[in-house]
Amino acid sequence: MAETILQVPYGTRDVLPGEAAVRRRMEQKIVCLFAKWGYDEVATPTFEYLDTFSGTGQSAAGAFKFFDRKDRILMLRTDMTTPIARMVATRMRKDKGVKRLSYRAQLFRYEEAQAGRQCEFTQCGIEMMGATGAAADAEVIALAVNTLLEAGLKNFNITLGQMEFINGLIESAALTEGQAQEIKHCLIRRNVAGLEEAVDAAKIPEQLADIFKELLFLHGGMELLKDVEKRVLSRRCRNALENLREIYELAKAYGVEQYLSFDLGLTRSLDYYTGMLFEGYAAGMGYSLIGGGRYDNMMQRFGSPCPATGFALGIDRIALTLERQGGSPVEKESAVLVAYAEGKIKEAIRLACALRKEGKRTRLADQAMTETEALQSMQDNHCGEYRYVKDDLYPL
Amino acid sequence: MEDYITIALPKGKLFKRSLDLLARVGYSAQGVSEDSRRLVIANEETKVRFIITKTVDLPTYVEYGAADIGIIGKDVLLEEQKDVYELLDLGFGKCRLMMAVPEAKKRPELKDYAHLRVATKYPRCAQEYFDKLGIQMEIVKLNGSIELGPLIGLSELIVDIVETGTTIKENKLAEVDSIFTSTARLIANPVSFKLKFERLYKLVTDLRTVLAEEKACPGCYPD
Repeated sequence: MAETILQVPYGTRDVLPGEAAVRRRMEQKIVCLFAKWGYDEVATPTFEYLDTFSGTGQSAAGAFKFFDRKDRILMLRTDMTTPIARMVATRMRKDKGVKRLSYRAQLFRYEEAQAGRQCEFTQCGIEMMGATGAAADAEVIALAVNTLLEAGLKNFNITLGQMEFINGLIESAALTEGQAQEIKHCLIRRNVAGLEEAVDAAKIPEQLADIFKELLFLHGGMELLKDVEKRVLSRRCRNALENLREIYELAKAYGVEQYLSFDLGLTRSLDYYTGMLFEGYAAGMGYSLIGGGRYDNMMQRFGSPCPATGFALGIDRIALTLERQGGSPVEKESAVLVAYAEGKIKEAIRLACALRKEGKRTRLADQAMTETEALQSMQDNHCGEYRYVKDDLYPL
Repeated sequence: MEDYITIALPKGKLFKRSLDLLARVGYSAQGVSEDSRRLVIANEETKVRFIITKTVDLPTYVEYGAADIGIIGKDVLLEEQKDVYELLDLGFGKCRLMMAVPEAKKRPELKDYAHLRVATKYPRCAQEYFDKLGIQMEIVKLNGSIELGPLIGLSELIVDIVETGTTIKENKLAEVDSIFTSTARLIANPVSFKLKFERLYKLVTDLRTVLAEEKACPGCYPD
């Protein structure tokens, strides 16, 4: 036997009965919620051309790649936003309305595997294309909060940032491309010591330098926005703060403001987000559960410029968080076993069909048996009850 | 453990100074010592827990959120590449990663060292360094006594951490190039940093104050 015959590849996993049912139910609830908010479900190919993904700011570096028969490079999709943007820019180009789209998909990224962070994983998410302004972003955030609630999470927190605030600071500091990249890199890695070094090296005026150095600690509520506003002069930064304030006010109307806070140093990936962005966290989980934001530059790549905002959440991470928060025991749905005496299989089939029509989960015994054997078989096959067919007058 | 702050401390040279610094900003517990048999020591009153880990494992504890924060050398962070926030350069535990060869085998230029075997505890950092220089090397990963490599013919050179340089001199090795310098860093788990922001921010500010006081008055505090 080859060594790998019984193994699964690095970063992949099996989902066993019970756990699979819990996940499926959670996904269904989430997909239903998306539908209720007016989002239409779509699907795209599992693999695409590498060219579609490269240069979108979403990394093609961690992708699983292979060739087609004409030697073009293909890759397993690493996110859903890019394929949806491609789809909207091509097949839905003529659609004049605001596109509200949702998905549930397996994604593939070569990541260092750990619990809840696998190379193959499931995401549910939404994209809203064609809408600009705080109302669209507030809707996305409110739906994100409702999705986590619908999934059964109670203890979580969503932090909001604004790329325009950071870009505004970089603009006022008149940094070179290299300096700006270095600073953004430190922000992404949350490297405070490195950030201070980079800011000192860039020789930024003192007042502005102080804000840069504090950036990773600018956490808080509405008061934070007011405090920071007094300290920044740039129009661009002020507009960014105003946008966050507006989103927060609308979030109040949705009744979700208690889950929100601000983190003005939040960056998620280099040069991808263009406005508001957010991440959600829960206690007991070392990394974010949900993330998203505005990405107005993406559609331009596909020749069809259009503002866009959205989010994605990791189903595996949510399932693990629920388990750790003690909310989601792996429950087995009970089933009925229909067993039968020698020569009574046809009656048994009729009974099984009738039971299924009633909505009962029904398993048919694989062979004729005595009633004593039926009791044992019920246990072996994880059924909660059994019916035994021994004459034409079967028990219903 | 939501209301506790869990702090990971590495065994070894950073341990004592880390403990002293934390004690001065109010984070301490009875019986925390390097050779303690207890692995988790809690202070019920101040809601702090200490865990004592092997140096290379420390970033992993913090990445997974098993510890909220930790103190660890920049060298380990660069080698382990874990997803953690780096909150503060604590300035102590200064050392550097360097490349050395037996004194007798020193060559005129850096590029003359291509296609040799390098013994190191830091394979990732060493690989990155040689990649940047554009020279190919065979990296031999060892877990200790790196300077033994060239002495017994396991490798031609070494990439290792030095503090004073005594060990390499004793072994008749000569430093060829310095790769980076490292100091102790305060690191945090990304989610803990969000969810326990108030306490962690205060800790960072207090540590900054203490370090600034020390800088202003060298010799006032025991090392």
